[in-house]
Amino acid sequence: MRNDIAAIFNLVENDEKLRPLTNRRPIASLPFACRYRLIDFPFSSLYNAEAVSAALFISESGHSLYDHIRSGATWGLDSIAGGGVFTHSQIRLKTNSTDEDFTPAYYDDHYKYVTKSKADYVLLMGSSVLSNMHLDSLINYHNEKQSEVTIAYKNVPRTILIEDSVYNHYTFDEEKAGNITAVNPVAETPMNDDMISLGIEVMVINKKTFLDYLQKAREQNLCVSVNSFSKLALEDGDPMYGYEYTGYLKPIEDLKSYFEANMDMLNEDNFNALFYRADPVLTRSQNSAPSYYGEEAAIHNSQVANDCEVYGEVTNSLLFRKVKVAESAKVENSIVMKNCYIEEGATLNYVILDKHVYVKKGAHLEGTPENPIVIGKNEIVEEDGTLMRG
Amino acid sequence: MIRREGRSNRHFRRSMKTETVAMILAGGQGSRLGKLTKQIAKPAVPFGGNYRIIDFALSNCANSGINNVGVVTQYQPLVLNRHVGNGSSWGLNRHNGGATILQPYSSVDGEKFFKGTSHAVYQNINFIDRQNPDYVVILSGDHIYKMDYEKMLDFHKEKAASLTVGVMPVEWEEASRFGVMNTDRTDRITEFQEKPDEPKSNLASMGIYIFNWPRLKQYLIDNQSKNRQMDDFGHHVIPAYLRNSESVYAYSFKGYWKDVGTVESLWQANMEFLNPEHELDIRDSKWKIYSQNPNTTPQFLTNTAKVKNSMITDGCYVAGEVDHSILSHNVKVGKHSVIKDSVIMPGAVIGENVKIEKAIIGENANIYDGATIIGDNGEISVVGYGEEVGGYKDAE
Repeated sequence: MRNDIAAIFNLVENDEKLRPLTNRRPIASLPFACRYRLIDFPFSSLYNAEAVSAALFISESGHSLYDHIRSGATWGLDSIAGGGVFTHSQIRLKTNSTDEDFTPAYYDDHYKYVTKSKADYVLLMGSSVLSNMHLDSLINYHNEKQSEVTIAYKNVPRTILIEDSVYNHYTFDEEKAGNITAVNPVAETPMNDDMISLGIEVMVINKKTFLDYLQKAREQNLCVSVNSFSKLALEDGDPMYGYEYTGYLKPIEDLKSYFEANMDMLNEDNFNALFYRADPVLTRSQNSAPSYYGEEAAIHNSQVANDCEVYGEVTNSLLFRKVKVAESAKVENSIVMKNCYIEEGATLNYVILDKHVYVKKGAHLEGTPENPIVIGKNEIVEEDGTLMRG
Repeated sequence: MIRREGRSNRHFRRSMKTETVAMILAGGQGSRLGKLTKQIAKPAVPFGGNYRIIDFALSNCANSGINNVGVVTQYQPLVLNRHVGNGSSWGLNRHNGGATILQPYSSVDGEKFFKGTSHAVYQNINFIDRQNPDYVVILSGDHIYKMDYEKMLDFHKEKAASLTVGVMPVEWEEASRFGVMNTDRTDRITEFQEKPDEPKSNLASMGIYIFNWPRLKQYLIDNQSKNRQMDDFGHHVIPAYLRNSESVYAYSFKGYWKDVGTVESLWQANMEFLNPEHELDIRDSKWKIYSQNPNTTPQFLTNTAKVKNSMITDGCYVAGEVDHSILSHNVKVGKHSVIKDSVIMPGAVIGENVKIEKAIIGENANIYDGATIIGDNGEISVVGYGEEVGGYKDAE
C-alpha cells in the first residue's frame, strides 16, 4: 500500500462526438471490450501502484459511473487506512465553459482532497485515452529527473487523431533529454505522416507545486486538467519532463475511434498488450453463468462475455453480457452491448448497439467502417429498420 | 419473522432474532472422485464452468433468506476456505450474518476432529449457541440443486416437527446408496434404514435436515456424556429420534437434485447442465446461483474456433473445436484440438492437436500438443489437478 499518491480524475471531457453513446454516461463509463468500462484502465493502474484513494470530478449525474465503481473495492480503493473514492459532481461544469461556470467549490474540493491526504504526489488523469499505464515507473522517472511535473506521452503519427482533436503534443529540449519546452494543441498541427509526442492525459506533480497551480487556476478560472497545468508549468519555468509510454494506446475521440478501439481487441497483439501485461485489468465483477453456444452456432474471431446465448453466426464482433443471438441471425463487425436481443434472420454489419436494444426478425442494419450505425439504448429495431422507443 | 412479499425480495427477508442457522457439512473427502479430490475437498470441486459444488447450497441459503451459515470443513480445506471467505460472494456478509468457516481445532477438551456428520455439529455447538437459533438446517455441501429451505421450514413449523428430513424418490437400484424411509399418510416417518442392503422403500433422504435446535443439542450432549454413539445423523440420530417417538416428518422435494459423489455422476451432471432446457435454469434471475467471479478477460474465439452445444466461460481462449463440452474460466484450447463430451476445469491449458473425449480435465492441468485423452468402456477419463499429460515426459 502506498498513500503517497493522491489521484484526481478530471472526467469533464468533451463527449459531443460520441453521442448518442454519451447521452447518459460520461466517457469514463463507456463500455469497452465486452466486460469493461474505460475507467477500469486508469483505476487498474492505480490498483497496480497500490494507491488507496481517488477523487472524481464529473459534470453530470454520473449514475452509470457510480453504479460501476460502487465502493471502489474492486480496485482496492476502500481501505480504512486513508482510502476512498471521493466523488464531486459539478452540474454546471462543462468543457469549453465560460468563466462563471467555475464555482469556488470546484477549487475548494480539489484543495481539501489534496491537503487532507498524506500524499507527496498528485496524479491528474483522464479516461478518454485508452492505455494501461504503469504508474510506478512513471513516478520513479519523475523522482530520478527531480522533476516538478511529469507528463506521460507516446510517439504516434498525427493521423491517428481527428482534425480538431482536443489533445496536446509536446516539444522537448534536445539537450536536456525529456525536458518539455512547448505544449502544442494537436488541432493546430497539420494532418500529415509526421510523428508527434502525444500527451496521454496522465500527469504526476509534486503536492506543493500542485497547490500552487491550483491557486493560479482559481485566479484565472482554469479547469484542473493536464492541459491547463502543463501550461502553468511552462509559464513558471518549473522543470517539466515527458515520460515515454510504449504500450497500447487509443484516444477515444469520436464514434469511429471508439469503434476502432473495440475492434482492435480482436487483434491478439493488441488484446495481449492491453490485458496480458504483468498488471491485470480489473473491473467490477458480476455474477454470471457461462455463455452457451447452440448446435448451429458459428462464431469466429470474436469476443464474448459470460451469460450470452449464441445460436446464430457471429464474426469479427464483440458481445457484452446477456446478449442473445437467435438462429440464422448474423452479426458481423459489430459491437453489441449488454442485454441486446437479435432475432432470427436479422443481420448486423458495422453496427454499435447500445444496451438493451431489440433487433426484430429479419431487420438489416448495414454501416461502414468509417461510419458505423449506432443504435441508442432501449431502442427496438423493426424489420424495415425503423426505430421504436423500447 | 417478517414475511417477504414477492419472490424478488428474497435477499431482504429478515428476522428479529436469528431464527435459523444453516450448517453446511463440507468436510467429506469424496474419495470416490479419485484424483479430483486429491488436493481439494469435494464441495470445492468445480462444476458447470463457473461454479464450485458448494455454490448451490450457499446460494440456496442466500435465496432462502438464511444469512447465518456455518461451513464445516475438515479435509483439504485450503481451496474451499478461500472460496467461501466471509460469504460476500453470496451476499451473506450482512448484519448479524455471514458465512463462517468452522474447522477442527484443539482445545482443553482435546482435539475436535469430526467423526461423523452429527459429531461435526456437536463439535460446533458453541458456534450455533452464539446465534441462539430456534432451528438449525443441516445441509450437505456436495449436491447440485435449487431449493427454497424456507418452504421446508414452513412445513416443519406447520407439522410442529422436531425433525424434518428432506426426501425424494430415487430409482430402486440406487436406493441402497441412501437413507430410505417409510411414511404414514401425514408424512410422518415411521421407519428409517441407513444405506440398507435390501431397501424397503425408494424414498431417499437428501441429507437435508431441519432440527429444533434445543432438542438436537440435548440429544448430542446427553448421549455424548453417556458415551453412547451419536456421531452420524443417518446411523444414530434419526434412529434415536424414532425410538423416542419424536415427531419426525418427511418433506418431499420435487425438482432436480443430484448427488455428484462419483466421477460418473459428476460428469453426468455436467452434461445435463449443458442442456439449455435444463430444469435447473441457471439463467433464472429469480434464483441465482452465486459464485466467486474471477476477474478475467472476455472469451476469445479465434478464426479457427468451432464451437457448438457448449458452455464457455470468461477468460477462455479457443482456437480449436469444442463440441458438447464445458470450458471453465481461463481454459486455453490450441489449434486443431478437438474436445468432445468433456468437462475442462478452470485454468487448464490444452495444446494443439489434442484429442479429448468423454473426460474430466482437472484444474490447471497441462495437456501438451498431440496428446489423446479418451474415456472408454463407459469409463470417464480423468486428469487430476495440475497434472501434466504428454510433452517431453512421454516423448519417445
